[in-house]
Amino acid sequence: MVDWRIYEHPILEFDRGEEVTIYLDGEPMKAFESETVAAALYANGLREFSKSIKYRRPRGFFCAIGRCSTCMMEVDGVPNVRTCIVMVKAGMRIKRQKYLAEYLSPILNLMKLPPQVYMRLMTRPGIIYKPAMMVMRQLTGLGAFPKKVLDPPPQNQGAQGEISTEFLIVGGGPAGMQAAIEAGQRGISVVIVDDKDRLGGQLVKQTHTFFSDIKYAAGKRGFKLGEEMISQLDQLPNVRVITETSAVGYYPKEDIMLLKGPNNTTLKVNAKKYLVATGAYEKTLVFENNDLPGVYGAGGVQTLLNVFGIKPGNRGILLGTGNVALMVAYHLIQAGIEVAGVYAPSFRRVRGYFVHAAKIQRHGVPVVTRHTIVKALGRKEVKGAIMTKLNTDYSHVPGSQFKVDCDFICIGVGLNPAYDLVQLFNPKMVRSGVLGGFVPIRDKTYRFAENAYIAGDCGSIEEATTAVLEGGLAGLHVTEALDIRSEEISEKITEYEHALEEDRSSPFSAGLKTAMNEITVDDIMEVLT
Amino acid sequence: MADEELKAVQRGYNTREELEELNVLPPEEIVASKRIAMIECTEEIPCNPCAYICRVDAITKDSLSAPPIVDWEKCTGCTACVAVCPGLSVFLQQIKDGKGYVTLPYELLPAPKDGDRVELQDRSGAVVGEGVIVKPTYQARGDAYPRWVVTVEMDDPALSYEVRSIRILGDQK
Repeated sequence: MVDWRIYEHPILEFDRGEEVTIYLDGEPMKAFESETVAAALYANGLREFSKSIKYRRPRGFFCAIGRCSTCMMEVDGVPNVRTCIVMVKAGMRIKRQKYLAEYLSPILNLMKLPPQVYMRLMTRPGIIYKPAMMVMRQLTGLGAFPKKVLDPPPQNQGAQGEISTEFLIVGGGPAGMQAAIEAGQRGISVVIVDDKDRLGGQLVKQTHTFFSDIKYAAGKRGFKLGEEMISQLDQLPNVRVITETSAVGYYPKEDIMLLKGPNNTTLKVNAKKYLVATGAYEKTLVFENNDLPGVYGAGGVQTLLNVFGIKPGNRGILLGTGNVALMVAYHLIQAGIEVAGVYAPSFRRVRGYFVHAAKIQRHGVPVVTRHTIVKALGRKEVKGAIMTKLNTDYSHVPGSQFKVDCDFICIGVGLNPAYDLVQLFNPKMVRSGVLGGFVPIRDKTYRFAENAYIAGDCGSIEEATTAVLEGGLAGLHVTEALDIRSEEISEKITEYEHALEEDRSSPFSAGLKTAMNEITVDDIMEVLT
Repeated sequence: MADEELKAVQRGYNTREELEELNVLPPEEIVASKRIAMIECTEEIPCNPCAYICRVDAITKDSLSAPPIVDWEKCTGCTACVAVCPGLSVFLQQIKDGKGYVTLPYELLPAPKDGDRVELQDRSGAVVGEGVIVKPTYQARGDAYPRWVVTVEMDDPALSYEVRSIRILGDQK
């Protein structure tokens, strides 16, 4: 029986919980309680989770954190479940979604209909809508209408109704948690909400030790830092933690944040102050066959490897020479997986810290700059990659193409701020390449709208350590805005600001500092009106 | 088109000559007299656990981002900095009784044991010889998470200037 799980790791111990059996299209499979459905299926060798709507191309997952939606399957009768964020339960029945159109697709392809037509055909008159949709959903493989909704896990019945609080934090990563700690310790009533089953954000998969000042997080491994912050929050009775719940909208007129939890529960929250700390999305690269199962985001690979202890493959390549790509290469080496090379166009230098590049090369993994991928090979999953050398104008050097044998390709080319929720506050958005994408103008207190604050990667792509500091600052500024002031608070603010300044003092951060100054104003309300 | 020579920042690792130019490697007479730390951390990174952990104040950083400087006289070769560096860029070197010794951080499997034979790898990952593990210790310093600190012995003392990684082959017997 295939089992891709890692049972021996130099740094991590995987506490997988009870062994249970789940069924994929009726076939029993070994799973563990602490695994998501996608992780358990992957461990059993499944690579194709769904098919693309129009061309029926195989789809694996990309991000493994509930963002990319290519891992959708039918779980216990509910269609379109993002299997990467739903936890395994004994006896769960998972089905690949039916594709009636598989037989019709040659005809449909000839008709050259854009994909959205499949969802919009026959929506009028209203009376035929429901039966027509049932047919269309079957045709396109989007599943039948749900016969029932997923049961919530016993410990989380889902929050329901309407509540008021002083401070609502969306996002339970390093920034959100530190804001909750700082505000919570000063008596503010805080609600912190996250869409995963646990707090910690991306810290949970970071097994390397951080740079930074020893006073803050340096030398600690990321997941340990996350655990420490969670236990600090546990001690604060005025901080309420709501997990497996997404913020799906903010309604300025009513001043309500709408949360959607397990079992389709909804919770309306009115808060005096809001903090958006929603983190980021992974960027991808354009190349032939980049949608094949086996092409993953760096974060997806980290999740499989470090959270669930599952090998993404036997031999892989990394695309990108930023810190994330270099780090993931090291994580793969630690898990005993062969890394054929780390490739990127980078001409001027390896983009990440030199020491990260040095530590993987001394283990025999080459970092190859001035190269890029031409295409991924394979029909159902990745079987290899064609690489090419680049000229300084990024054109391919003729005759320099070569094949690399690999069964997965990991893309680590950077992150985009997850600004979806930010936008609902009607901020002034600007685009900044250095900061990762669209970010709101904010003031020195991290306020970007009348009652809304921002911290962490969703405001500017940086490190986990800076996210902690920004979150701490936002939490303290919110505390002050709620009229709790003291000498101690202003001292702490100065301390955090100093630490942030130091963290950004390396030449690596020069461009970032300029960009941050450009989007930081004295009076945010003046900008907004 | 001939391949032009890559600079260190494009290659992603330093050569011994580059490190000598940057004054990172200790002078030969010191290497021959005691076990000494060298920090191959040549970029400005905002980070300071090495300077913080050093009991004899042999490591200084002018600012949080400045590259660390080792005082060859003060360093006692205690290995604390090897265990704590987040960048895994601290090594100890010694030449004694005609043999070379390198102490390095190790975070892979299998766990190192006294007497294990190892393949020696240089900064580029190329295998340059074989050696034997002499004193592996599992260390947790300060708040840092534990890792192995491994000393390897090699017959050719000149190799101690090159060896920066090992691949464990197993028992000597």
